[in-house]
Amino acid sequence: MNVLGLHKKLEENSGLLIFGILFVSSIGGLVQVLPSIFEDELITPTAETRPYGALELIGRDIYIREGCSTCHSQQVRPLLAEVKRYGPFSSAGESAYDRPFLWGSKRTGPDLHRIGAKFSDAWQRVHLIDPRSVVPNSIMPAYPWLAANAADPRNNIQTRLRRLRLLGHPYSDDAISNAPDLVANKTELDAIVAYLAVLGEAAGSGEEMAH
Amino acid sequence: MPIDFWAGWVAVLTIVSLIGFAWVIYGAYFGGKSVEGDEESPTVWDENLREGAHPPPMWWFWAMLASLVFTLIYLILYPGLGSFSGAFKWSQGGELEERLVEHASTFGSRRDEIARMTIASIRQDELLMRAAQRVYDRQCAACHGLDAQGQADMFPNLRDDAWQWGSSPEAIETSIRSGRHGIMVGWRSSLNRAEASQLAQYTLALAKSKPSVHPGKAKFEELCAACHTTAGTGSTALGAPDLTNGVYTYGGGVLEIKETILYGREGIMPAFGDVLDDMQIRLLVAWLTRDV
Repeated sequence: MNVLGLHKKLEENSGLLIFGILFVSSIGGLVQVLPSIFEDELITPTAETRPYGALELIGRDIYIREGCSTCHSQQVRPLLAEVKRYGPFSSAGESAYDRPFLWGSKRTGPDLHRIGAKFSDAWQRVHLIDPRSVVPNSIMPAYPWLAANAADPRNNIQTRLRRLRLLGHPYSDDAISNAPDLVANKTELDAIVAYLAVLGEAAGSGEEMAH
Repeated sequence: MPIDFWAGWVAVLTIVSLIGFAWVIYGAYFGGKSVEGDEESPTVWDENLREGAHPPPMWWFWAMLASLVFTLIYLILYPGLGSFSGAFKWSQGGELEERLVEHASTFGSRRDEIARMTIASIRQDELLMRAAQRVYDRQCAACHGLDAQGQADMFPNLRDDAWQWGSSPEAIETSIRSGRHGIMVGWRSSLNRAEASQLAQYTLALAKSKPSVHPGKAKFEELCAACHTTAGTGSTALGAPDLTNGVYTYGGGVLEIKETILYGREGIMPAFGDVLDDMQIRLLVAWLTRDV
């Protein structure tokens, strides 16, 4: 077919033009995005990855609510300097139970994907309530209200777990029925500290990057 | 869904797109007649761009041809076409592996050398001590403070002579490498308020006058002496602090000590054996035990 003639036809027929534009611009998505939704390697949890516990899950929601991922990434890239500084690089399977994933792309603060074992819970609590009490030159905001708020004020942790189970997260009936006990009398601070404590637990031993 | 299907999907779509791209370029320049526009005196932009359907300027052709050639070369050399790994067999993981090997061969022997140096000789080397301070600043200062003098009435001072788990270089190295978990149980079920106050007073007195007669003494010997010893000097093996040196990690007021006695304390030093290498740990031990 005559390409220049096709061009004339497209220009004169806006419906055809819209279809043509959508078709061409969808190719990138079809090649890059679509396969990653189905590729086993990207969606299968690594051997050490497990679904979040009830309190950790609430902590994760608070992490999202407070916008932590605007300043902290959760992806250690496969680069020498990052692996030396943070530990084993992140793999896609580690985010299999993250909906949505919190990889982030901005590091005003450090990456948090391997933060779990680095600090005691006591430090995390002090630091979240008043970062400058332990790191004088920190520019992180303080989050004192976390200690005052109940972790699950609407008492809907079971609903949250059931919805995730619909999406394929392997929560047992026991895990769901025990969940309210696990979060009762806990504060948001307890929850987010519990979440931070398990970050990086799933570092793949297969790709252990010893320093 | 088998991974091969999606690899094929990516490869086929990529190749079909490239063929389509080449077809559009070829067709636009060499494949057919121009379609004239309606204007009587056509405006010309960028050499030969006019109303109607004409081939675009020739430099566009060369630019698109160059990008097509680049794409083809790239897809032959690097991974991109589905599961085809490219002629260079390049991968992110492989690249990192190479960098790690390069790093180890450049710095490995020197780092091993430093890891085997005596503490005394590291302390005499100003450069090494500066490097040690940087390791401290990055890994330790968040809890123990920039000046290593402890903070938040929770994280121990590392500049004094009081070391809960032992002050020898070996003990300090173990603390860094494996971490420590100090637990003091709370005694509120065994003590009434008055007894707790007396015990707190006695604990404070141990650091000063060491009284032989004191209302809190009996309870101390009953409840506390098993870990802290009768004299109150503590045990580095148990991580039970010395109560005679006047150093109180959680605060040295009567109220704080009473709280400790009633509710207990739990202190966690995380393990850094996986985070730091032997050289960094050696440097830290030398830096922490230096004379100031």
